[in-house]
Amino acid sequence: MADRIFAAVVLAVVLGYGIMAFAVIKAPFQYDPLGPETWPQILTVAAALCGLYVLLKPDVSVMTMTGGTGIRLVVTIGLLAAYAWAYEPLGFIVSTIIYSAAMAFMLGGSAGRAIAFGVVSGVAGYLIGAWLLDLNLPGGVLGDWA
Amino acid sequence: MKSPLKVAAIALAATLMSGPALAQIEKPECVAPAKPGGGFDLTCRIAQQGLAPQLDDPMQVTFMPGGIGAVAINLFATTRTDDPNAIVAFSSGSLLNIATGKFGKWTEDDVRFVGTAGADFGAVVVREDSPYQTLDDLMDAFKEDVKGVVVGAGGSVGSQDWMKAALLLKSIGEEPRAMRYVAFDGGGDAIAGLLGGSIQAYMGDVGEMVPHLGAGQMRILALMSPERLPEPFAEYPTAIELGYDAEWTILRGFYMGKDVSDEAYNAWADAFKAAYETEAFAQIQKEKGLMPLNMAGDELDASVKKRIANLRDVAREAGLIE
Amino acid sequence: MDVISGLSSGFAVALLPLNLFLVLVGCFAGTLIGSLPGIGPINGVAILLPIAYGLGLPPESALILLAGIYYGAEYGGRISSILLNVPGDAGAVMTTLDGNPLARKGEAGRALSLSAVASFCGGTIAVILMSLFGPLLASFAVTFSPADYVALMVFAFASLASLVGKNPIKTLLGALMGLMLATIGIDANTGVARYTFGIPDILAGIDFLIVVIGLFGMAELIHMVEVQVSGKLKLLPIGKSFVSWRDIMTVKWTILRSSLIGFFIGVLPGTGASVASAVTYGTEKRLDPDGGRTFGQGNIRGLAAPEAGNNGAAGGAMVPMLTLGIPGSGTTAILLGALLLFNVQPGPLMFEMRPEIAWGLIASMYIGNVALLVINLPMAGLFARMLTIPQKYLTPLIAVLAFIGVYSVVGNPFDLYMIIALGLFGWVLRKLDFALAPVILGFVLGGLFEDNLRRALSISGGDWSILVSSGNSIVLYGLAVLIVAVPVWLARRQRSRVATDG
Repeated sequence: MADRIFAAVVLAVVLGYGIMAFAVIKAPFQYDPLGPETWPQILTVAAALCGLYVLLKPDVSVMTMTGGTGIRLVVTIGLLAAYAWAYEPLGFIVSTIIYSAAMAFMLGGSAGRAIAFGVVSGVAGYLIGAWLLDLNLPGGVLGDWA
Repeated sequence: MKSPLKVAAIALAATLMSGPALAQIEKPECVAPAKPGGGFDLTCRIAQQGLAPQLDDPMQVTFMPGGIGAVAINLFATTRTDDPNAIVAFSSGSLLNIATGKFGKWTEDDVRFVGTAGADFGAVVVREDSPYQTLDDLMDAFKEDVKGVVVGAGGSVGSQDWMKAALLLKSIGEEPRAMRYVAFDGGGDAIAGLLGGSIQAYMGDVGEMVPHLGAGQMRILALMSPERLPEPFAEYPTAIELGYDAEWTILRGFYMGKDVSDEAYNAWADAFKAAYETEAFAQIQKEKGLMPLNMAGDELDASVKKRIANLRDVAREAGLIE
Repeated sequence: MDVISGLSSGFAVALLPLNLFLVLVGCFAGTLIGSLPGIGPINGVAILLPIAYGLGLPPESALILLAGIYYGAEYGGRISSILLNVPGDAGAVMTTLDGNPLARKGEAGRALSLSAVASFCGGTIAVILMSLFGPLLASFAVTFSPADYVALMVFAFASLASLVGKNPIKTLLGALMGLMLATIGIDANTGVARYTFGIPDILAGIDFLIVVIGLFGMAELIHMVEVQVSGKLKLLPIGKSFVSWRDIMTVKWTILRSSLIGFFIGVLPGTGASVASAVTYGTEKRLDPDGGRTFGQGNIRGLAAPEAGNNGAAGGAMVPMLTLGIPGSGTTAILLGALLLFNVQPGPLMFEMRPEIAWGLIASMYIGNVALLVINLPMAGLFARMLTIPQKYLTPLIAVLAFIGVYSVVGNPFDLYMIIALGLFGWVLRKLDFALAPVILGFVLGGLFEDNLRRALSISGGDWSILVSSGNSIVLYGLAVLIVAVPVWLARRQRSRVATDG
């Protein structure tokens, strides 16, 4: 079933991709006979055939996952998105402390250890990244001294 | 290498001469709308080193790649429109992108052009053993059969590199669409294609030819500069003087957001103008492979806007835009 | 100047105490930088270039430092591939396939030390070939026309036919997804934007790095969370394993073949470590006497091949840059910029006008390779300890490192969302038994194939016969047929031998 759902999604995406390849993409003029649209058109046809095959002959029937695991995964993605969202406004140190601590806590660390780990990864990451290697990391709220 | 003492002396002198107007640029930043290592990086480094005597704080170079500069213009046309401390590098390629609408709704009216870093020029290059010994030879071949010569360059249709070829063909009344043009992924690949015989003529830049001068592999037929260039290019004729009205100047410079106060805008423009007067700036320009084309402030803004209008005409004629 | 006297003068430069020190510093820093997921050679060199320039070193010393970083990062890229299943850059993707299974079996030390040996051989063979045949090879490389690149891509795809897993259609679909991802962005031939939907951040296409970090790094992170919270987590055994002489003897031909192939692919402008590692892995799997059945489960040949290949390619890419002034890869383009920054003009004249730089740089590569082996062998055990970090801390660390890698180079928060989305996509693919390597290889090879095909056709004015009109391409098509046919023939012969024996 999982395969079928995935194949259906793939086919829907390929359909959109194909519509653009066949109807939208066009160069004002071109020097090669293929132009920008031919290659995507070929890919559309090939991907559609493969998608149909998987739809008709799926081999992974179930995506085994308990409800609890599913929730944790949603939280994982949510935390990652929040980390990305906070990266620039809060800066590397603060956002990394919060993200690392929250992840470590969710994965079973005690609150104290999770926070300690968060602080270490945020501060050490910044020291190594921004000072030692001179990488460009956002200062954020600590921008003036960090 | 210049000694720190000398730099300090120049800085001191510049600060004394330039007066208080410059003091308001704090933590100056140059945004290179690309990854490190490319032309925009170079442009920002010229500002970083060349303006150092004019600025109180060291200039930071930051990178904002994405969408051939579209990400940067997007930011400076929406949120950082009045940032008085940041300048963004641009090139003629960016101007062409504005002219052909590649930056979406953002146009030259959404930014203010503030200063230049220098210029480079187009060059028509063939292999040393090419049958085309002069630009006339090449152009005659085009006149005979426009598809008879395979032209290559480092950019796609509608890019600066393509423009050079298109302008050259237009100068003899040929249709740019009719030529055989090969778009390579950057100048390096295109030079490899020229040396390997895949293409017969390469539309390059003067600056990138420096390492190849005297190597005996390639021949520069003509420069696409408005007039002859200084050494080591003094011996090469321009296309214009050979009777082909094809000129391509690659301008490198900086813009700011459109809501920047006149005060801040003029402070930057004055900093550029003061730098242009110094020997050190000319030296940095030369080290980075650029020729002087020094212009700042409203004069530049007007000149660039005129340039974009011209480009728009050319692009329309070539059928790139409606 | 001939090779011997050139090299000896080069060693005189490279062995100066300052330069020797800089090679070691560069190699060490490069290894560290390369081991961070997301920061490979190209970014490492680009990031550290301003520092090297700012130190006020003489040009040859600064370049020796940068070359050390370049080589070190190429070595370091394998560390996170093996230990975490997170490739450091596109060239290290294939290293995950057999490197990580070895680490999971408790043989992380063996995998790290063996790959260090393979990297050393690849790098050293490349430098030797470069000093002997550099100019010759470079003049051959430029004869490679767009039509020949098409043939090379066909050969690459043919060698990858061995990657087909248990479901060939899914492998194909995965590769097609990679190919489709590669069509996003401005078309290199006509300048038309494809599939960008007006989003400026993807106008220039999606960066390799983003796809690699997303599909591998972030997908691995999500997978780790899933395994851990569902209680299926097994503690990884950490043996004190180390590469044995027998291991090296087993892979000696693999390393030699892969180094040569990698070097050759690296010499060609436009193809580099990622294509080299893919082709060498595919070739070894096709040539495997067991039919490649143990590839992907911790086969040491499958580990040695891409590592020798990508380091060979890293050396090869220096050839056109030094001898012709044409950068063969993104990293050498930056090194070329560095040369220009120091007013050194690379190209045919560099060996005559600035021999101390040209030969000093080459000599420093010999030293650098030895230094990297010396640094990396003892560190193998140390790095392997990384696996003793509890998973609850290791998992967030992967995200922190990936974010540093992606953000520090590009500085665009949009890319952070991109890697999360691609990570989710990659995790779903893994759940559904799709192999991820074909996706990334489709992504890498697809753009090269399409662009060069259309380039070739614009050269010929639409005449398709250009594709088979050169010796290079005919040889490559022949090799492509062989690489598909030989394993089939070998298998058949073995079967008939078994039949006659029994």
